[in-house]
Amino acid sequence: MEFHNILVPVTGSEADEEAMKLACRLAKKNKAKIRAVYVITVKRTLPLDAEIEPEIQKAEGILDHIERVAEEQDYEVETDLLQAREAGPTIVDDAVEQEADLILMGVKYKRRFGQFSLGSTVLYVLRNAPCRVILYHQYTP
Amino acid sequence: MNSNWRIKPGDKIFRPRRIRRYHLRRVLGVAAVFSAGYGNVGSSIYYALGIVALAAMGATPIALSIAGILFIFTAFTYAEGTAMLPEAGGSASFARHGFNDATGFIAGWALMLSYIVTISISSFTIPPYLGYFWEPFKGSPIIGTLASMGIVVFLMIINVIGVKETSILNIGAAIIDITTQVSLVVIGVLLILIPNPAILVQHMFAPGNWPTFDNLILGIALASIAYTGIETMSQMAEETRQPEKRVPKALIMMIVTVLVIFAGISLVSLSAMTPHELANEWSRDPVAGIAASIPSALIRTILEPLIAILAGTILLIATNAGLIGISRLAFSLGSHNLIPPALSRVHPRFKTPYVSIILFSTIALLILSPGFFATDVFKNMGTLYAFGSLLAFMFAHASILSLRAKKPELPRPFKIGWNIRIRGREMPISAMLGLAATSIIWIIILITQPNSRWVGIAWMVAGLIIYYFYRRKQHMSPTQTGEEVGEHRG
Repeated sequence: MEFHNILVPVTGSEADEEAMKLACRLAKKNKAKIRAVYVITVKRTLPLDAEIEPEIQKAEGILDHIERVAEEQDYEVETDLLQAREAGPTIVDDAVEQEADLILMGVKYKRRFGQFSLGSTVLYVLRNAPCRVILYHQYTP
Repeated sequence: MNSNWRIKPGDKIFRPRRIRRYHLRRVLGVAAVFSAGYGNVGSSIYYALGIVALAAMGATPIALSIAGILFIFTAFTYAEGTAMLPEAGGSASFARHGFNDATGFIAGWALMLSYIVTISISSFTIPPYLGYFWEPFKGSPIIGTLASMGIVVFLMIINVIGVKETSILNIGAAIIDITTQVSLVVIGVLLILIPNPAILVQHMFAPGNWPTFDNLILGIALASIAYTGIETMSQMAEETRQPEKRVPKALIMMIVTVLVIFAGISLVSLSAMTPHELANEWSRDPVAGIAASIPSALIRTILEPLIAILAGTILLIATNAGLIGISRLAFSLGSHNLIPPALSRVHPRFKTPYVSIILFSTIALLILSPGFFATDVFKNMGTLYAFGSLLAFMFAHASILSLRAKKPELPRPFKIGWNIRIRGREMPISAMLGLAATSIIWIIILITQPNSRWVGIAWMVAGLIIYYFYRRKQHMSPTQTGEEVGEHRG
């Protein structure tokens, strides 16, 4: 499999680091472009362009960290901070706009109502992605 | 995250912030915008019909039709304004660009009143519809008002916590709403109007049914509340893909749908009930009155509980839309230095503007409180709603005219037709007529409705005082615009 444009949505979880390391490994072969994005989801009681300073600071910190993870892998990544109502459609829209050929997402082990759950964002991306999707599932002993 | 890394003293990050908001790359389409708008405008028929009948009696369909023409003018004004300035704020935003910050504040503050009363009036009419299942909801003012207050408190809590909601909910609600209303009109026409067409003429024009001239004018003024809610579509513009094309398209779709359905429902209601029944027994739940008057027992058995549940749900969504609308508007006004920033404060955990949600919900509860004692509170809420909405519409029309005069070069993806030239500038006739008509109706309400007059004026004066002192504290003149401040500082 060859990839030229990899999109890595990040959320600040531990799985992000490993997902980014995997993205760097996959990208090196073809010198693919990697974009890490963080989506700030804005509640409907606020205008879409509301600047929520603590959220922006948190997102900046996560993206700074993910940049350093890539640097440790000797790879340079682009980072972007998006603001939208829902994360899933935003990731898919971004993949379409940026012509990504792979979405690589880190998935943390989550339980909902006692069952393992991928969460709505991952499911939306799996259903609607315009390209291949790789999920990196964080092993939790 | 690597916990060893810290910014050291002297470190400076010069890189610009990454943020790339989606206010220019948005996700909503025509269906979502139409649904949000119809959810708000279309829900008003569930209470507006009864309020209009209180004044216009047999002339209710005529009052609604005349106000409908006014609604067309207003919708055109919003279509041009929203396509030109796709941002949150609606008429407040148009006024800020068309005049100055003070005018923007007045329009925004009036709009806030209208949103607060939307919350009160929509929640006030939910219990009467649910009265089908438990009579005290409709019959007891104390239980009814308590239930309305409970609804407002419930919505306040879920909005502070920030429950996830998608536009699919709006689309689903709009489809159910339109289907129910169309079914009711078709059933009413087939089973009531066609078998006895003379009954409509009798209910409209028989002695005692036709209103006095003053009441007809008041009825037209009150009918304007049936068409408020158009602001919601304007607020959705910042989330709409290609807003310059899709918002006007959604607005025009809504005008046609609303006018056809409202005309049908008002005619069927007066065929099903006498104006006195509509204005008294069924004033707070007029659509339930139509369902209860269907001659077929089988259809009635299905329709009555269905209307009770659907009207309750739609009004609940409208109440929530009012709460969402006002919190967004407060944040938008706060970000332009028009109201104190405390009102835009975001909760550190829930990430919602909790101060504005709690404050405005509390005011909505205060407006509901006379419901425990007074019998005419419903009509007063209606006139107060009209006071705020019409004032906001007046500013919207005036701002569109002002922008045509002051900033003719601004790109107008949707430009209203039928213009006349005044001093070399093209001026839309519909906006001029809209401005004149809304001003006249607003003045009529101001003169004839003492409760709304004093509450409305008190609200506006309180707002102007807050605005004046806030701007003084910020060392800004009241009329100065945000752009001017930027120029001076920059």
